Amino acid sequence: MNPIQDLIRTRKVIVCCGAGGVGKTTTSAALGLAAASVGKSVLVVTIDPSKRLAEALGVDRNPERPIPVDIDGLIDKKSEGSLSAWMLDPQLIADRVVERFSGSNRDASTLMNNPIYQNVTAMVAGMQEYTAVQALYEFIHDDRYDLIILDTPPSRDALRFLDAPERASAFLDRRIFNLFVPGEGSAIRRMTTKLLEKVMDVSFGPDTRRELQQFFQLFGGLLSHLNHNQAEMRRFFGGEDVSFLLVTAPTSAALEETQFFSRRATGELDLDVAGVILNRSLTHCRGWTMPIPGFHEGQDRVLSAAILKLRQFSLREQEMMEGHLQLKGELAALSGDKGWVFTLPHLGPDASTLDGLSAIAHYMADDENDQYEK
Amino acid sequence: MYFLNRHTLLISGKGGVGRTAVAAAIGLASSRAKKRTLVLEISYEESSQSALGARFGRPNLNEEALPIDDYLAIGRLNAKVGHSLFLRTILPSKTLIAAALRSKAVHKFLTAAPSLHEMGIFYHLLTLIQKTRADGTRKYELIIIDMPATGHTLALTGLPAILLRLIPAGPIARALKDGQAILNNPDLSEAWIVTLPEKLPVTEALELVDGLTETDVTVGGMILNRMPPDPFTEDERAVLDAYCETGHFFGQLTLARIRAAKVAMSDLKNRFDAPVLTLPEVVDTDLMTNPLQSHISELMGAES
Repeated sequence: MNPIQDLIRTRKVIVCCGAGGVGKTTTSAALGLAAASVGKSVLVVTIDPSKRLAEALGVDRNPERPIPVDIDGLIDKKSEGSLSAWMLDPQLIADRVVERFSGSNRDASTLMNNPIYQNVTAMVAGMQEYTAVQALYEFIHDDRYDLIILDTPPSRDALRFLDAPERASAFLDRRIFNLFVPGEGSAIRRMTTKLLEKVMDVSFGPDTRRELQQFFQLFGGLLSHLNHNQAEMRRFFGGEDVSFLLVTAPTSAALEETQFFSRRATGELDLDVAGVILNRSLTHCRGWTMPIPGFHEGQDRVLSAAILKLRQFSLREQEMMEGHLQLKGELAALSGDKGWVFTLPHLGPDASTLDGLSAIAHYMADDENDQYEK
Repeated sequence: MYFLNRHTLLISGKGGVGRTAVAAAIGLASSRAKKRTLVLEISYEESSQSALGARFGRPNLNEEALPIDDYLAIGRLNAKVGHSLFLRTILPSKTLIAAALRSKAVHKFLTAAPSLHEMGIFYHLLTLIQKTRADGTRKYELIIIDMPATGHTLALTGLPAILLRLIPAGPIARALKDGQAILNNPDLSEAWIVTLPEKLPVTEALELVDGLTETDVTVGGMILNRMPPDPFTEDERAVLDAYCETGHFFGQLTLARIRAAKVAMSDLKNRFDAPVLTLPEVVDTDLMTNPLQSHISELMGAES
């Protein structure tokens, strides 16, 4: 059995990490489809700002709850599997947290009407990652799903998701919050608060300063709950039901990225990095033919001329394929004893259609060819 | 004429489309046309290497403006620099400035509070746009900004409108309005979107046009980067397509890509009502002899 098949059969949560632009969302959706076709009830959670995958899956963007995807005809009828997708809206998750954990209904509605709060998910770095984890938290004790696949928010680098809780907690640190709220404390505390008030008053004017303080005061009250959830999630992420996958593409940065990611995830955070998916590779072209002009008897002159012109492209593709094969070997060497590299073909624009997802899911189910390496 | 008759150009587009290379190439071309030019990138992490600087052999670029030659400088926008510039202008006394700049709490607040990070970058940019020489003329005639990925770009261009709702008065509001007067004035500023001749990048670029337009930034046009050359005649194409039906051949992926690029280009031109400039696929180098620059110089001279 190939390692992806093993993973979707044995894990409860798979977290797909990777830099933006490598096809992470498509890969996550295809993983979901692959798992549904072996009988799992799967939920794919994604924070995807683009509408293309939502369109392909036939679901709304930012609905209140997960939406079942119509996969009839894509998977074996006898399979009991199902696929749901949730393109989530960070603000919606934040609102739920506020409703659930505020001290009173009045506090909740004051906070939701606070202009700072209304813009908070759009403005705070790391908030998307934070809410993705909150959303996942809602589902880990929910037995409707056998497997949840979390597609991490788009970002410049793969490590972002791992680091995001710390980044967000710079903002969501209660001690920092307290500084903005006038109150008791040591003389130094009071002086610091006064200095901040002064800076805020001249910068924003007293009205905005008061709104900020109101926000910090009310939102600060929720932090202990949020941090409790995050701490529990961090323990959960370290457990045996959860695996991380790094999705990457054949670029010059792929090796270095994988190295950093594995070191940080396994070494420092003690997470299970199951393997690397090398997406958009040409490794499947092994065994293709190099076109040769005049090769076939009776080949016409136009075809010979065309093949001659094609030659530079043919050579380049062959060279790229060899490069990708080598990269695959190097990535496999990096990923240690247990790790593996699984290559997926470059399907181009068709990848994020339902047929494309189905083609990738079939690839993931294929045991015959040599697309993975331990 | 493209690019040269503006004060600021925002070069945006999603990651991996060659945005930095294009921004650097426009900067080089503009400086060779003897315009005092500053190319800027935005540093989100101070310690990180500079993708822009690397193109000029300065991967550790951290200055706000490092001269490359008489007409060209490159630099990095940094939120922290913007914050201290801002605090210096607003705080009434030197003691208070010193206390505020020293205070860890103020620093943490500025990095952590909503939007203030973007505000720092915005303010840093504003001070560079407003810089003048001894004779009162603008220090930089053209400022080109290599914008960050889509989400961050819109956070930055949308900042004035969002913050002015929250903070209608005071020095921050004044700075935001000064910035709007430049960045939202189509005679002074334009965004150019770099994209690739492929289906999804084109769709995403069109989404970015909508996003930028919502934040009142004028999109001057699109730059379709890495357009693959098509050396085949129609007859050759037809026989090759038939030939490829008979098996799997190296080169067939490129044939498909050339076809997809043409479809994507005509699709873009149908759906986008502003200039679409095309740049060919070039071997990317980090050297000053940026091969894109000569193509851009040509485009600059072209009639717009």
